[in-house]
Amino acid sequence: MKKEINEKDPLQVVGCAKGHSHEELIHNLPRHYNYTPNLIQKIKEIPEVILRNSGTLIAKKVNRMMREVTTEAYRSKQFTRTEMNNRGVLFGVVLLKHRVMDLVLKYFHERWPECIICLYNEHSGKTGIINERGVIQEIDSTLKNVVEGVSKNHSVIPYFDDIQFSGREIFETLYKSQFISERENQNYFKRMIPDKCFELPGMRGGVEKRFRNKKINDYL
Amino acid sequence: MGKVPSVLEKIRILGENSKYDICASTASSRTNKYPKLFGDSKKWIGATASAGICHSYSPDGRCMSLFKTLYTNKCIYNCKYCFSQSCRHKMSFTPEEYARTFMKLYSMNVVEGVFISSAVCGSADDTTEEMLEAIRLLRFKYNFRGYVHFKCLPGVSQYLLKEAISLSDRISINSEASTKEHLAEIADQKDFKNDIIMRQRWLKQIRVKHNDETLKFMKDLKQDNQLKYQEAMIKERREDGYKKFRWDGAPILNSGQTTQFVVGAAESESDYDLLKRIDWGYKEIDLRRAYFSSFIPIEGTPLASKQAAPLTREHRLYQSDWLLRIYHYKLKDLKEILTEDNNLPIGDPKIHLARQYFKDHGPVDPNLAGFQELLKVPGIGPISAKRIINLRSRKFKFKRRQDLKAVGVVLKRADPYLLLNGTNQTTIQNFIDPNNSKFLQREIV
Ligand code: SF4
Repeated sequence: MKKEINEKDPLQVVGCAKGHSHEELIHNLPRHYNYTPNLIQKIKEIPEVILRNSGTLIAKKVNRMMREVTTEAYRSKQFTRTEMNNRGVLFGVVLLKHRVMDLVLKYFHERWPECIICLYNEHSGKTGIINERGVIQEIDSTLKNVVEGVSKNHSVIPYFDDIQFSGREIFETLYKSQFISERENQNYFKRMIPDKCFELPGMRGGVEKRFRNKKINDYL
Repeated sequence: MGKVPSVLEKIRILGENSKYDICASTASSRTNKYPKLFGDSKKWIGATASAGICHSYSPDGRCMSLFKTLYTNKCIYNCKYCFSQSCRHKMSFTPEEYARTFMKLYSMNVVEGVFISSAVCGSADDTTEEMLEAIRLLRFKYNFRGYVHFKCLPGVSQYLLKEAISLSDRISINSEASTKEHLAEIADQKDFKNDIIMRQRWLKQIRVKHNDETLKFMKDLKQDNQLKYQEAMIKERREDGYKKFRWDGAPILNSGQTTQFVVGAAESESDYDLLKRIDWGYKEIDLRRAYFSSFIPIEGTPLASKQAAPLTREHRLYQSDWLLRIYHYKLKDLKEILTEDNNLPIGDPKIHLARQYFKDHGPVDPNLAGFQELLKVPGIGPISAKRIINLRSRKFKFKRRQDLKAVGVVLKRADPYLLLNGTNQTTIQNFIDPNNSKFLQREIV
């Protein structure tokens, strides 16, 4: 998000904490799974300063809904584990309740502009695809089929062929190496990982569900 | 001849050797207003997110977002607190290995960028040359344009620093200690003035010079609409000499320079010594921020029998650093709450400062207090203070505690220092010491 600098009003809250304008809310709230059209009418009646600063309960509710949408998109960007095949297709699995698939796809597209990105949404059972030109499609099919389908039309790009270890092995090793036993902080660790992230498909293998380098399941 | 270690073995050992190095996630958002650092092309892979993205958390709650390992653990120095004295498995990455391993991890979306640090093998210049080669490969062979944090080695040459700056988002040189004497106590081979301070000054000079040139170039392009803001962001300073804007969107080294201290390794080093050094850093070398790492004794080193520094000390230093940078407190304010041995007292420094301030001034009414006064209230940060002022300027009046809660005030901390509708939330202090309690006297009046 771009930071605005307003010379006339140095106290204006900038950045993420500045809240959302009418336009932003009207544009983005329909992404929320619990959205109803009459919410827009209510938003229009609230003065912008109240809206931005969560000045009333309804303003607070609207901001909460907006936060739920942005958080879900943000978490998916953080915790979706992807793989790349030798034809330049990057794929992974997400669990998106709100309508934010396009945001997540665009994030990966910006990072890998020459790859095709396929993300399977476990919630809807559909696979979102973004191609090299940034065109987004949603297909009612499994990830495997979609990846096979899009890979067919691409030539082989031996990107990581000569790395003899799997990415997971490398990550596990890096992860374990960073542990400082003297700093162990169980409560903080649990707090830092939101429950719903444990439900994300990329997390199910358990790379983050662990404590003292053991998976949490080892304790349960 | 010994067995050549595998990449996994290198990650395991060199990752572990680097675990005490601290870095934030990616505090980097490159501006679009300047000519692009690496040009604009579809071939570039990676991006920098404006808010740091953490891809995983270690069991102590620290976020892991960067590929953080040493480049080599072979070292010509023998700092007393460091693993290098005890680690028997000495190894180095090759530039190609380093770059490819990172790219593999990046494709899995488990790291956001690189933090490249190293011991000093042969000489600082030799090792830096190799580290730079790894980064060059990342940038120009693998086309990675994402976040790179480059750790400068003590005593490195200026021409290498210049190149490192042109390839990285953030650079840091570890100060380790606050003064020459304290450094000599824990790392007597390092020359504080020459190896560290001089390099930190160079970093600032190179950055300022480059930014000035770019601003001039932009003037020639007559893009002065944005330029006015950009110039202000890069150049404006607060009264106390700190930079006014922490994220200034400068075209090179956009995440600035940082430094790190080992807290509690030097016997006589106090919190005040450390705070004085970072205050100097913010004023003189445009330090973006400082990191503190509590000393942890490592088996087999000269300091193995020394007690570990409490993590709470590190925490209080971070809180005080925050007060200096974000809340605009002065070093002399913090000095007033220090204990006799010049250390920070137990507990949140902001609460200590608030107790002192509000003892004399009494609680404040959020409908009347100025921005700086609101900031002094524990539980009110810059964002909630700005919101309060914003709402007030639009004739909003705070009458209920919920109103304050809604703008983000943490009431349980703020209550004792706030006056709402002429009354102050009763605290236990009112009962303990009624004669001295100005708060209570006010209510009675
Ligand atoms: S320079 Fe000192 S702290 Fe750095 S690796 Fe060498 S011995 Fe350790």
